[in-house]
Amino acid sequence: MSALACANFCVAMLGAACLIFTILTDTRPPSRQAQEKSLALLRRWLSPEQAAQYNSKEQFDVIGSDTGTRYRIRHGHMTSIDQLDSAGDEVCAWRFVPEGNLAAGDCMLAQKIAVETFETKVLAIANRSEGNGWRRPSAEQAMPRIGG
Amino acid sequence: MATQIIMDHTGDTRHQFDPADVAAVAEAERRFKELTGYGFIAAKRMDDGRSEIVKTFDPTAEETLFIPRLQGG
Repeated sequence: MSALACANFCVAMLGAACLIFTILTDTRPPSRQAQEKSLALLRRWLSPEQAAQYNSKEQFDVIGSDTGTRYRIRHGHMTSIDQLDSAGDEVCAWRFVPEGNLAAGDCMLAQKIAVETFETKVLAIANRSEGNGWRRPSAEQAMPRIGG
Repeated sequence: MATQIIMDHTGDTRHQFDPADVAAVAEAERRFKELTGYGFIAAKRMDDGRSEIVKTFDPTAEETLFIPRLQGG
């Protein structure tokens, strides 16, 4: 590898590392443009039925990949996910979010993809509430995470 | 064109590449490995609102989304 190619590679790696560091540590509230951009992305990834639900009520239902359980995701960047029974009544609520200070659409999309593709794994790290406060799934796991 | 979408505080950052361009594919693969190495979850968009988690780089994926690590909120 030539010196120039090596330098270019190092610059690219440094740039990527800075971007990732910024994503994970930025504490500024997402701007209005960021919120709008995230909602546009969310709509691209929703099914037609979910998009209709979101457009009318700012919430949509997802089906858990492992148990077939129905959950309801509501608009917001820190809102919980309601687990529903067969009658559509709330059983309990789960709360998990992506790291970083992300806009609402990104958070809802992350929740949708997680429940629809690795339900059991993500609920294992989520906080749960049955109406009497939030609790972690395991006392041994101070801050369990998914994603490395 | 294929697109890699990285969730961030601006909403997202996008990188497009031509799957027929060897150098661009190599750069996209490097980005994939770097992001997943940092803990990002990669998912590709399927039909009708479905998505699939991808563990290895797929140059044929039209849209790949990178989600930061998840934690109890």
